[in-house]
This record gives sequence, structure tokens and C-alpha cells, in this order.
Amino acid sequence: MSHPLKPILLQGHERSITQIKYNREGDLIFSVAKDTVANVWYSVNGERLGTYNGHTGALWCVDCDWDTKNVLTGSADNSCRLWDCETEDNQPYLTVPCAESKITSAVWGPLGEFVIAGHENGEINQFSAKSGEVLKKVKEHNKQINDIQTSVDLTMVITASKDCSSKLFDSTTLDHIKSFKTERPVNSAAISPIMDHVVMGGGQEAMEVTTTSTRIGKFEARFFHAAYEEEFGRVKGHFGPINCVAFHPDGKSYSSGGEDGYTRIHHFDPQYFDFELEA
Amino acid sequence: MVKHLLGDLLRKAQEADGIDSVVVVDNVPQVGPERLEKLKNVIHKIPSKFGKITNEFYPRYIFLEYGAPTQALEAVKNADGYKLDKQHTFRVNVFTDFDKYMSISDEWETPEKQPFKDFGNMRHWMEDPDCRDQYSVIYESGERTAIFNNDRWTETYVRWSPKGTYLATFHQRGIALWGGEKFKQIQRFSHQGVSLIDFSPARGNQSYVVTFSPLMDTKEDPQAIIIWDILTGQKKRGFHCESSAHWPIFKWSHDGKFFARMTQDTLSIYETPSMGLLDKKSLKISGIKDFSWSPGDDIIAFWVPEDKDIPARVTLMNLFNVVDCKLHWQRQGDYLCVKVDRTPKGTQGVVTNFEIFRMREKQVPVDVCCRPLAESIIAFAWEPNGSKFAVLHGESPRINASFYHVKNNGKIELIKMFDKQQANSIFWSPQGQFMVLAGLRSMNGALAFVDTSDCTMMNMVEHYMASDVEWDPTGRYLVTSVSWWSHKVHTHTQLIHTPDRHTHTQGINSYCRVDNAYWLWTFQGRLLQKNNKDRFCQLLWRPRPATLLTQDSIKVIKKDLKKYSKIFEQKDRLSQSKASRELVDKRRSMMEDYRTYREAALQQHHEQKTARLQLRGGVDTDELDSNTDDWEEETIEFLSTKKSFPSESSPLRR
Repeated sequence: MSHPLKPILLQGHERSITQIKYNREGDLIFSVAKDTVANVWYSVNGERLGTYNGHTGALWCVDCDWDTKNVLTGSADNSCRLWDCETEDNQPYLTVPCAESKITSAVWGPLGEFVIAGHENGEINQFSAKSGEVLKKVKEHNKQINDIQTSVDLTMVITASKDCSSKLFDSTTLDHIKSFKTERPVNSAAISPIMDHVVMGGGQEAMEVTTTSTRIGKFEARFFHAAYEEEFGRVKGHFGPINCVAFHPDGKSYSSGGEDGYTRIHHFDPQYFDFELEA
Repeated sequence: MVKHLLGDLLRKAQEADGIDSVVVVDNVPQVGPERLEKLKNVIHKIPSKFGKITNEFYPRYIFLEYGAPTQALEAVKNADGYKLDKQHTFRVNVFTDFDKYMSISDEWETPEKQPFKDFGNMRHWMEDPDCRDQYSVIYESGERTAIFNNDRWTETYVRWSPKGTYLATFHQRGIALWGGEKFKQIQRFSHQGVSLIDFSPARGNQSYVVTFSPLMDTKEDPQAIIIWDILTGQKKRGFHCESSAHWPIFKWSHDGKFFARMTQDTLSIYETPSMGLLDKKSLKISGIKDFSWSPGDDIIAFWVPEDKDIPARVTLMNLFNVVDCKLHWQRQGDYLCVKVDRTPKGTQGVVTNFEIFRMREKQVPVDVCCRPLAESIIAFAWEPNGSKFAVLHGESPRINASFYHVKNNGKIELIKMFDKQQANSIFWSPQGQFMVLAGLRSMNGALAFVDTSDCTMMNMVEHYMASDVEWDPTGRYLVTSVSWWSHKVHTHTQLIHTPDRHTHTQGINSYCRVDNAYWLWTFQGRLLQKNNKDRFCQLLWRPRPATLLTQDSIKVIKKDLKKYSKIFEQKDRLSQSKASRELVDKRRSMMEDYRTYREAALQQHHEQKTARLQLRGGVDTDELDSNTDDWEEETIEFLSTKKSFPSESSPLRR
């Protein structure tokens, strides 16, 4: 078994990772990449369980249902595929087209009654799952939304935007609750299930590469306090921008997938849980 | 004088139309009939360029009528001031102007009093209780300029006036000057397409700004260089300009009383406020190559290269076999250094000498630097307020930094030489003593902080790809920056090499563009801040006006420095803890609001529980351990693979 404090490196994709997702119970991680392949891994030690082959274009998103029976993948080959988790059958599924500003990311509402979608122009819309009409609309970001993720109880969503900020919204009212600002475009953000923390990954712009580089990559995942909107920590490790971050459902670890093709699983040390900003 | 002619002409003109096309040429010499033909030819030549003329001659005046009013205006613009000969200079005016002047009433009307424009305290920033200096930052590729928290907009770049009173911004239509407590717009100077600007030193209330625009063909501003009075906003004088290659074209004397420019074989010195030539003539200096004003006195040094048997000369001395000459004044004008590159007879190489002129001593003695350097000089700089200078010499990668001291007895002593430096520029602190050797741009931003009181290297650091260095006016802080202007297109990938020579393989795409940012250091080379700004372009410290303290009062303050230090430290501690308290209070209230929101949300979540259970067929999935009955125990064996990575999982790195 690997040491709980050392990060676990998942190597199984040949191109940049586009999304990673834990299943509801947290024992599995699904990863998809531009190499047309989806992988599933044990989160406890990083061992690969299986691969879903069949798409003919880059994969951009993945999700599995609440009891880990089915896996859904979305691809640049203009199709979504539904897979049986345990076998690797491919069953094609229909895609839902959308007008106006391209939807870049979407999540379900708390009771499956609506979908919350982020758009290329920075807008966030609530679409009714029955009729498809727009129930609510907000525009707090001024550039593309790269990612939306829900809190574990589905009451909140966090957005990650190219405008270098991440924002917390109430899922039902779409009220803007908090903002987290950085100097680099944010590719992905996630809400901790147990602490008042959020994690963000990004970094399309510059990195200083000095002549004293080591094997540790310099791209960082950044942790913010959800109530104070202040950054309190960073974790280095990726050699390229981070495209996706996700908390384990128990909140004791998190994962990040990068442009460098690696997925890294980090377990938090005890200090992390005791850390408090003076208040 | 034209009164009696007016009547006739007006009548004639009313018959023809186009009174606007008539031009009056004044100061025409009275000539006898034999020379009238010649005169007519001359007249025809110049103004006729601008259109068909029908003209009328009167003694001393010529009326020229052109085909169109535009042609008449062209004639005025170009022929006015034409020197026919020593005694006669044509004055050309549009006829309708006379009409205008004639109709000025004989009654003197007191001009309306302009309301006093109160711009407030123009030196307001100097009153900052904590004596903080300001700096301007241009970023977002020039779209935003900020001074502290004031946002202003400019199209290209900005300039501070020499004493820091004004900030000039460039726009398509001209220059705007900003200042005062709230950074209001003080003055606007209309100069279409302005691209360069220079400030004169301030002299009491007088100060000027010089603008250059390469667009010469507009009617309103036919001149390329314009000198403006800052306080009144008036255009004082316009000049032609062939090339702006060596801006500023006009060099100002130390206190702004004179300004001068050099053209082919000529040195023209003008005085303020009249803007006229000193002694009403330019100096003919055949072959003049370059000149510069003393920073302390009204003295110009210029040099002329050798010409056959006549040796090259600087006004202070004669030199032989000179290849090139560069003049470096020390800040107070106490010393002038002439860097002379010569090729000694019979050799091929270039040898560099420094000749130091000690300006404050009788008859300005000259000392030759004892070690003529046989290497090329990369940079030279005097210590401000002092008598040391630093030289960078050699060729990459063997660049050396030498420090010299000009002693009271005239001897120039080499204090120390540092070899194998990565440097191409020298930046002295404005207060002297401390300095930075910087390797900018292609040398990857190597910085060496030196204390020249004992020539020790205080710190060697790096700001990767730094393109600019700026000391603050007090010499306590240094800003290094990576400007977006210096690294416009810059994407490439790079493989990471480990110290043990292994390269990373498999699927690495790492990015290596440049972070546009400015970093703040102490004078000793300790890094204080890193500020990233999207497409950051330029940072300039706001200059300070000269100190009002006398040398004696400065001495007294220095004596009591310990007492002041204690007071300042206490102030710092208080303000820090005040900040902490403020921060803590802010956090407390943010947490309270957040908690209130979360409680309401969780309440709603709770109320929806039945709905959730229904959706999942009665399975409670609210918590991870909500339905342990459903769990199966399974023992699985894993093969552990050994892969060691340094521990990186703690996010708490600050």
C-alpha cells in the first residue's frame, strides 16, 4: 500500500486529461482524456480497473450514476455513450443540441428537476428538465465557464471561469454567494464535502521555468477558504496546466488531472483538517 | 498702412469673387524698372507653386490672387518668412485677415477674467503621512494605467514630469497632463499623432513640455515639434524636425533657462521665456557631433571629430586619433567623464580610455584613468551624489564589473573588480552607495546587489526575463519587471531536464511563456512582493521634487536616526495589528453571513428528504454511511508497486 501522505500518480492516458469524477461512494475514479479513452481506477491505491474504448474523438466529460451502474461519456465525435460500469459494452446514446452560446459544462439540480449549465459567454442558466425552458439566468462571469461542480448535498454549485475567478452559487436560486479570484484562468473548481474549503486548478498562462528545475512540476492546485474568500494553500506537482479537480466524497483526499496526461491523487495530512485562519 | 488701398481693392474684389483667395505680400523691396522684371520672376517662382496667380503690384506690397482659398492658405503657410535677401523677409498674410484686424474696435475692452482654475494641491502626494512613493503601472498591453488605485486610460505610454508633479498620458489627439490630489486633468495639449514628449526642468513657475508628432500635414499644427507652457497651456513655439531619431531633439540646461539643438554644423541655443535664439543667432560649429549640458551650470560640452590635420576636440580638451567619444556627466555636475575609444597608430584594435574632468576645481584638471581597458565597454555609470563610477567591460560570457573612485587629489583608483558577471546594465540607487548590476532581457534577469562603500556583493538573485529596473526616488526599493512590450510573442515548449541528466518522456507538454509582472525588492536584494499583472507593460516611480532641507538639517536628522527608527517601528507594529484586527473582524462577519446562508440551505435540503428517497427507490444516499445494510464485505489483494515521489500532498505551503 502506498504511504497515505505521498500522492498517487495515475498513468494511463496518452494525452491531456479533460475530466475526472469520483463515484458517489468514492471508491472509484473515472478519468477521460483527449486520447479517446475513458479509464476507471480504484481511488485507494490507483490501480486501474478497466478501460472504455469506442469513442472516435477526444473525450471531454464523464459521469457515473448514483449507484455506479452506468457511466456516461461525452465526446468530440458528437456523441454521448452510455456504458455499463462493469463491462465495456458500447451503447450509443443521443446528444441534445443547444442554441445560442455553447454550453461548456452542466450539472443536475438537487432533485433532478432542472439542469444548471455554464456557457461560453459566462452565463449560467437553469433549464427545466421537463420542458427545456430557461427557468433562471445569471451572468456573473465575463468569460467562458470552464467547469461547474456541485457540493455533495447539491445545494450549491461552484463555477470555474476563463476570467480568472471561481464563484459559488446557490443551486436553487442561482444567488451569487462567494467569489475566489486568481491571476490565471481557472479550468476547474470543487467544493469540499466536509470543510469550508474549495479547490481550484488552472494555469493556461505563463509559468517561470528556471534553469534549476526539478522533477516536481510547478503547476499548482490552489485552496481557498469558502467563507473568507482567501487563499490558504497550494499543492504543486503537475507539469502542465490542471484541467480538472475533484474532492473524494469523504473529503479526506482530492484528485487533479492535468495537461501533462497525469492524474494525481492527494490524501490530506492531519494538519489540513486542523488548519484555521484567525477569526 | 494698408488702409488707403483697402477701399480700392474691396471694390474690385466685390466684382470678382474669391476675396478669400487673395494674399498680401509685405516687405517687397522697392526696385527700379530695370530690376522689376527680375523681381517679378522671383515672386512668381515662390508663391506660384500654390496656384495660378493674378497679381497686382504696389510699391512694397504685392497682392496675389489665387484660384482658390485653399491655395491662398498654402501660400501663407509656406511663403511667410521667406528671406529674399538680408534686408527683406517676405511677410505673407491672407487678405481677409487684414479685414479682421481692421474691424477690431478702437475701444479697449478689458478681457473677461477667466475663472481661476483651482486644481488643488499639486504636491498632495508628497504629504502622504507615511511618505510612501507612488508609481505608475501600465498593463493589459497598454489598455490600463494605474497609479495606486486611480485608474486612467492611455493609448501608448506615460511619463512623469521631472519633479513628479504631473503625469502625462498620450492620446491620438495630443497629450493630457494629470496631477493634484485627485489626479484631475490639469492641461491638454492638442498635437495630432503625438508620439514623443519631453519635459523641461522647472524654474519657479515656468515649466514646459515639448511634443513631437510625425504627422506634419494638418492645417492646425504645421509644426512637428511644439513647446508648450504647462501652466497656461499656451503653445509657445513650433519647430520643424527632420527626424526624431535622437529624441529629445532639444536638450535643456540644468534649470530650464535654455534649450538647445544641434543640426548640420550648427548649434542653436534658445532662451526662455522668449523662445528666441540666444543673441539672435545660432552658433556655427563645423562638424559638431554631439553636445550635452552640465547638470550643474550653464556650460555645454560638445565635440567635433578630427578632420585631416585638425585633431578632434571637446571644448575642454584636444584629443588625437579618436574613434568615438561619449560624454558622461556625474549627477551634480561635479565631474565629466569622457570615454574615448581610440585606435593607436599602427594597431588594429580599439583601446578605451576614461578621461575625468574635475569641474569644481580651478582650471578643470583632467585625469586619465590609470588602466586603459583593452576591452569593449558595455556600460558606464556615475554614482549619483558621489565620486565613484562603475564600468561593465568585456564580452559575454566574460564580463567584468569594475568600480573606480575619483579621489580628492585627482587620482582615479580602482576599488574592486568582479569578474564573470551576468550583467549588461548598471543601476545606481538615486542616493548613491548602493547599486545593482543587471543582466536584462537576453541575460535572463540576473541581478547582483552591491554595496559600494566596501564593494561587497550583498545578494545575487534572479527575476527571470526581467526587461527593466527602476529604483524608487529614495533608494530604498527597487522594482524589476518583465514587460509585455519586450516579449510580445513567446510560446514554446520545453522538456524538463533533471540534475542527473534524465529527461522526462511520456506525454509531457509543459508551457514556457513569460509571466508579465513587476517584483519589489529592498535595496539589499530581499524580495518583498511579486505582482502579476495581465500583459503588464511599464512601471515608473513618481519622481520627487528637490528636498527643501539644508545639508545641516539633514545632518541633524541623521544623528537622531535611532530615535526616529523607534517611532517608525512602533507605527508599523500598530498599523499591522490594526490590519489584523480589521481583517479578523471582516472574517468574522463573513463567516456569520455564510453560516446563516448554509443553515437555510440545509434546512431546505432536509425538507426535500422525502422527495430524494422517492427518486432513489427508498435508498438513503444522503450520507456515505446512510445505508450500511447494503454493503458487502469483500477482501481484495493488491500488488503494491514502488514509486517514490517527494511528499507534496500538504497544501499548507505558504
